[in-house]
This record gives sequence, structure tokens and C-alpha cells, in this order.
Amino acid sequence: MNLFLSSAPHVHSPQTTRVLMRNVLIALAPCAGAAIWYFGYSALILMAIATATAVFAELIWQMLTGQKVRIDDLSAAVTGLLVGLNLQPQAPWWLAVIGSLFAIIIVKCLFGGLGDNFMNPALAARGVLLASWPVRMTSWVLPTGWNSYADAVTGATPLASPGSFTLKDLLLGNIPGTMGEVCKVAILVGLLFLLVTKTISWRIPVCVVATTFVFSWLFGNDPVVSILSGGLLFAAVFMATDYVTCPMTDKGQYIYAVGVGLLIAVIRNFGNYPEGATYAILLMNIATPLIDRFTKNRVYGHERKVKKENG
Amino acid sequence: MKKTFRGGVHPLHGSHEGKAPTRDKAVREYIPDTVTIMMGMHLGAPSTPCVQKGDRVKVGQVIGTPEGFLGLPVHASIAGEVIDVGPVQGLGAVPGIGVTIKNDYTDEWVDDIEPLGNVETCPKEKIVPAIKKAGICGMGGASFPTHVKFAVKEGQYCDTIILNGAECETHLTADHRLMLENSVRIVDGLRAAMRALDVKKGIIAIEDNKPDAIEAMRKAANGRDGVEVRPLKTKYPQGGEKQLIHVVTGREVPTKKLPLDVHVIVLNVGTAAAIADAVIDGKPLISRITTVTGHVNNPSNFRIRIGTMAEDIIGECGGYSEKPGKIVLGGAMTGMPAPSDIVPLAKANNGVVVYNEKEALNLEESPCIRCGRCVEACPIGLNPYKLKYLCDADDLQAASEADIMDCVVCGSCSYICPAHRFLTPAFKNMKDKITAAARKKRG
Repeated sequence: MNLFLSSAPHVHSPQTTRVLMRNVLIALAPCAGAAIWYFGYSALILMAIATATAVFAELIWQMLTGQKVRIDDLSAAVTGLLVGLNLQPQAPWWLAVIGSLFAIIIVKCLFGGLGDNFMNPALAARGVLLASWPVRMTSWVLPTGWNSYADAVTGATPLASPGSFTLKDLLLGNIPGTMGEVCKVAILVGLLFLLVTKTISWRIPVCVVATTFVFSWLFGNDPVVSILSGGLLFAAVFMATDYVTCPMTDKGQYIYAVGVGLLIAVIRNFGNYPEGATYAILLMNIATPLIDRFTKNRVYGHERKVKKENG
Repeated sequence: MKKTFRGGVHPLHGSHEGKAPTRDKAVREYIPDTVTIMMGMHLGAPSTPCVQKGDRVKVGQVIGTPEGFLGLPVHASIAGEVIDVGPVQGLGAVPGIGVTIKNDYTDEWVDDIEPLGNVETCPKEKIVPAIKKAGICGMGGASFPTHVKFAVKEGQYCDTIILNGAECETHLTADHRLMLENSVRIVDGLRAAMRALDVKKGIIAIEDNKPDAIEAMRKAANGRDGVEVRPLKTKYPQGGEKQLIHVVTGREVPTKKLPLDVHVIVLNVGTAAAIADAVIDGKPLISRITTVTGHVNNPSNFRIRIGTMAEDIIGECGGYSEKPGKIVLGGAMTGMPAPSDIVPLAKANNGVVVYNEKEALNLEESPCIRCGRCVEACPIGLNPYKLKYLCDADDLQAASEADIMDCVVCGSCSYICPAHRFLTPAFKNMKDKITAAARKKRG
């Protein structure tokens, strides 16, 4: 008899890395659908280019460096799609390519691949594109329908010119903005899916939004318009919750989320950029190892540790 | 809302923890044609065989004498002729000494059994010696010699005895059936244990996925001095000693200390029933209830004689229903895999679970995605993802400082890990290494 020997446990949770990443892709589908609905075929093409570039970049990198090819864990596809959704709908195709290459090669693979990147790859790519091609990244257009370039009218996002859009437009996404962020209903549907499948916990998205809400109000803005404008909601649901770059413990996640929310409100109010989500999350990504160090759980049977470690 | 502990997981939550096939099946007696009784069934040095090939033994006769502080006697579980004394491949890496007996089906008992009678009136100083004489060790899986738990040192005292009827492991229904069918025996055993140390409080803790067992035990405990039944939330590892003590008494066992340091003794319900048999009838531990389930034709609960071969008991279940890929003795979270079905069952074997080839599939480790699920699941509050890096680096010092010795090897982190990181096996290995290194240092 040929029996398999292995250490306990002998059963495993069905939620594998691949299943979790697939869940994120499914949760992003409503946003992608809304982007195509509002901005037409150019949105579809940009997302496809970004996703394909990310997956191929990881494939080629892993082949060249002699690593095991792991693109079937879908993490590169998630990153690529997020890069695409972070572009404005009429961005040139090479912006998507550069963004995905930067995200996968520079931010993810050079630091050791999945799990070892210190920043959210897609957001880091957005940060780089925003700094390098600010005009191309922020030439917002009003929704055009399927025929993307037919009668494209440029416009300002609700963050730059608050009060010019109705609440209904803000919710449904009939506004200028990046492809992923415009339709709040789609984002909320995605969030609901992620929560029901227990892919993410409610802690980070809820705390980020709540903190921004409170501080926007304190800073004298309309808090409802604030949280429905710009990339806040999209970032809170899909970017701030990236496993690799957010803290491990409940307590750490609260600190991180409040930090993100506060920074968004501060950058939007006192910074040069009307949009703050990207840099707020990137900054808190960098603070994550520190937060992790100071928010360890108390070990059973131990008094709370004062200070023991050095490193 | 029932009190519970932090962390934990719900393995096989969608399929009643894998218990559905056997939980309604009454226990059947199974007496095999031959038994192979291992000398090393308890934690501690293996016993020394005191019978020879060709000897005739009776049921309950001592066939192995105890060795050392944690030693226990071993008894014949059937009457018949000793046909072999020698090395047998059990679950360990190396074979151990076993005594094989061929059944003559007389079921003749030894003459020198000394019943103490009623647990409420028997002389209490005779209870612990009776437990030792009966060869009782922890029957929930840990197989720690039970009489040693009662060794109260200077300055220590015990005010609560907890009976562990949580049975939080997957697949197993042995304790469940025992509580339904032998509830009075369990309470008798608890009372004997309480009287041995003048303990006023005895708590029988049961997970709330077994409402019928809670009901049966409440009925049996009714009117007994200081005994109460406490339902627990169904969550793994609710039956872990540290978790159980915390949930039931609100006390935490300090690191590197034992339950007695917080005035608690925890016994498995099966152990309590064995104590009752030893005290009331003077009978040694020669049989136990075991669940045989998984891919067998007729999953069942059996009262088996100690030393029954896995192969025989699987045959009694109608054999394999599918080609077996893995046979696990115990539940899915902490059970030991068997090298073949020709292994003898010991005092602590509460289950035989047959996995098919698909379920036995080798998993491949992939990169940690830092999702934090292991941190959330750890009932102790450790950082498994970080400990794994320290184990991979073979850094004994750093792993100790990160409190790896507090790990209870429950398997929750490995179960939940989406990347299938081999967390628990690495920790078990590292703990063994650190213990060995410390022993070497002491000389």
C-alpha cells in the first residue's frame, strides 16, 4: 500500500492565493464594466493592455530569472487591471504599458516578487505616471459612451470643481475621472462581494472612508461630496486593502486606515494636488512594517511586553 | 453568547466538521483475532515487556512494567497466547517494541483486580494509585500519564477539574458517543478525580455542536457534588488545554507553566471514564472508543481493544470505499499519518480517518502574501508568518525570542494559509530542535 505521509493539518482552507486573487478580479468586474459603459472601447483596450503587459512582464521575468512561473496565482493580473483602472480613459496606450511594467518589474519583482513588495505596485505605478506625465494623466474627459473619441469633451473632476455635479452623477459615475473610480455603485458592489467572500475585512475600507469623512468636515468641506469624489472610495476598497502592504493585526489595520484617511484629507485640503489617495496610501504602505512592529498581539500566558526586541 | 478564545478556525465547517457520518452511530464492541500492544503508548519512556513468546496471558494482566517518572504499566487487552515480542512499526520514525497476542476468545480476566467500589465513599488516598496501576494516560491524544497530573507539588493546589468534552477535532465522534452512552461513568470518573485532591468544582466542557451530549451530561451530573456542564462555542481549537482553561475559568496558564500553576487539571472525558473503570471495577485501561471514518464503506464508532490493527478495524467497517491515499490516526488538524494500515492502535488513538488519493494530494508551498490570516487565526497570539522565516533561516535564538515555545502546534495557521505555507510542521520541528539543544546544554 502506498500511503502519503505528511504532517498535520490534513485539511486546508479552500481559500488559496489564487481564489483570493480571483475574488478581487471578480470584485473589479463591475468597475471595469462601468468604465466601458461610460468611456467606450478605449477603456476596454487600455485595461486589456495594462493587464496583458503585467502578466507577460511577470512571466518573462520569472522565466529569465529561473524562478517558478507563478502567473497562475492571478496576482499579476490583479495588479495589471488595477493599473489600467487607475488611468484616465483616453490615456495613450504606452502609459498603460509603462505603468504595468513599472508595477511588476520595479516594484514587485525586483523586491522579491509576490509578498515582498513594500508598496502597492499598481499605486506606485500610478504615482510615477502622475509625476512624470501629469498632463496626460489628468486630462479628464466627460463620459462619452461606447464611441470613445467621437465627441470627447474635457472637464474637471468633482474634486477640482466641487458642486458642478449632482449626487446621482457622483454615485453612478457620470463624471470625469479615472476609469475605476467614477462609478461608486460599482465599487460598492465589488466591496460587498469581497466582504461576503471574506476576501478582505471591513476594517480598512470603512475606517479610511470614515476618517476622510470626519476630517473633510472638520476642514470645512462637504464630507459627502468629498468621499464620493475622486479616487477615495476605489482606493479604500481595492488599493489600501492590498494584503502585502497593509498591517497584519486588527489594531495595526485601524492605525493604518486612520492614517490613510487623515492623509487623504490633509493632501486634498492643504496640498497642491486635488487628489490625495495615491500618495496617502503609498506613505502608509511605507509605515506598515513600523506599525506591525508596534501592534503585535499579546502572546497567551505573557505579560504585555514592554520592549524587548532590537531589530 | 458563549465565551470563547481569540483566533481559531472552523475546519470543514460546511460539512459538520466531518462528523456527520458517525455521530449518530452507536458504539459497537470489536474484539480482534490478534492484538499488537505497543510498549510506548504514553508520553515518557516505553515500558519493559514482562511476558515471553508462548506465555498465556489473561485480560488485564500486566505485560509491560513501567520505566521512569513518566512510566506506565501496559496490560493485555485480550486473553490468549503471546505469539511475538519484538519490534513493530507504529507511527514513529523507528519501530518500537510490541507484544502480539493471539485471542483464545475465553475473555478470562486476571484474578488480582481490586475494585474500590463507589467513587463517593471509597478511600480517597487509593484513587491516584489505582489510576496509575490501571495504566491510564490522556486519551484525547496527548497520552500524558494521568497520575502525574495529580502530583501536586509544595505550594500548589487544585480548585477546578475540567473535563474536556469539546472534541473540537474534525471527523471524530468518539467522545461524543461516550458522553451519550456512558455519561454516568464520566461523571463518576470526574468525582473520583475531584475527591482524590479534595477539589470542590468539576466542569464538563462541551462544544455546542453536540446539544444531545450536553443534555445527557447535564442529566448525569444532576445532583452530583460540585459538577456542572458548560457549553462552549464550536471553534477549533476549543479543546486545546490552554484555550479551555481560559474559556472556562478566565485564567491564563503563564508561559512555561502547567495548568496546576493556575489550580486547574484538565482531563479528557475518555480519561475520566477510564478512571471510573479503574476505581469502581479495578479494571485497567484495555479498551477505548475510536471513530473509524472517511473513505470506508460503513463509517462507525467502535469500542476497540488496545492493540487492534488499523487494517482489522477498517475491515470491520466494510473496507475501503475508495483507493486510500492517506490514513490519519486522529482528527485532521493534529492527527498522525500512518505509514500503512498495518499499525496498532494505542491508548490515545481516538480515530482512524481514511483519505482518498485526491484529499491526500501533496500541497506545494507558495510565497507568503502577508494576508495576516495566520496572525488572526493563532489562538496564542503569535506571528506565524514571521516565525516561519525564522524557522527557514534555522535561527533557534530568534525563534525562541519570538516565543515559538508557546506555540501549541494546533495547526490553525497552516489550515488557514492561502499560500499553503508549511507553518505548523516547521514550528513543531523548531520546537523539537530548541528542546534538544536545551537538553544538550544541560548535559
